[in-house]
Amino acid sequence: MNELDTKIIDFLTENARLSFRRIASHTERSTDTIINHYKQMLDKGEIRGSTVVVDIDKIGYEGIAAFQIDTSTSDDLDSGGILQTLIEMPNIIVATKTVGDHDLLALAVIHDVKHYQQISREIAEINGVKNLTSCIWSGNEKILPKYFII
Amino acid sequence: MARRKLDEIDVSILRNLQKDARTKYSDMAAQCNVSVDTIIKRFRKLKDKGIITNTTLLLDPRKFGEEVIANFSIDVEPSSVDQVLEFLKKQNGLCFATHAMGEYDIFSIATRRNMNEMNNLKETIQSHNMVREVKTNIWVDQFLLCPQNFELEPLIEE
Repeated sequence: MNELDTKIIDFLTENARLSFRRIASHTERSTDTIINHYKQMLDKGEIRGSTVVVDIDKIGYEGIAAFQIDTSTSDDLDSGGILQTLIEMPNIIVATKTVGDHDLLALAVIHDVKHYQQISREIAEINGVKNLTSCIWSGNEKILPKYFII
Repeated sequence: MARRKLDEIDVSILRNLQKDARTKYSDMAAQCNVSVDTIIKRFRKLKDKGIITNTTLLLDPRKFGEEVIANFSIDVEPSSVDQVLEFLKKQNGLCFATHAMGEYDIFSIATRRNMNEMNNLKETIQSHNMVREVKTNIWVDQFLLCPQNFELEPLIEE
């Protein structure tokens, strides 16, 4: 990654809709150069995509819950299956396999306590889930948007 | 808290931008069967109302030399949560830390260049005299971000 790549990322992290033409003008390069660099970073997986950041509070979500999940099997394939089920569930916005005290982590946006209980139940009922530890926090806390979009 | 009502055009804009923030206004207009001007005005309105805070890139920390991602569940002495949070926010690599309710007092996420650095960070956190316990989970494989999983449909006006 070179200096131009870093600049492109900085501009687009602030405003992912900024036109390539505008970035070209700011960096004194051609629009084609900017497009090529952007595409290369996409191809290499450095940029995974772009998204809109919404204020969850304003669309009816009161908070975020972290679910740390223990599975009943050490089989990697099975925890992969649970991961797949998690990411297809509405309101789950981040999911990953983990090593350490738990096998999987899922972050979910929650409307209220009742909704939190409902998601907890749904996760607990996934085949292969043995145990669930969770915590919740207010939606006012933001995860820094450099890598995470909450 | 009152839920903001959106209509189908607003939801379509949000859905498109959740998947790809660079979606063209003209594509969204064609999809909703409205003019490009309508989409631009709606987008601005969503921003003015504070529903859209910004648009951003989804980056992979591992491709930026931050090879190890972990979350810490931290148990602290009662009434010292704010003090520990202030301390955490000064630590290099801490992306996020919040007061949580549940099994632990603080939930946080960190990225570091290698396991050694992550261990050092954990030890630093553990060394705080108000911290009782730190549990660590290292994220393996690719972590998945699914902003499109937000439920927006219930907000649509009748």
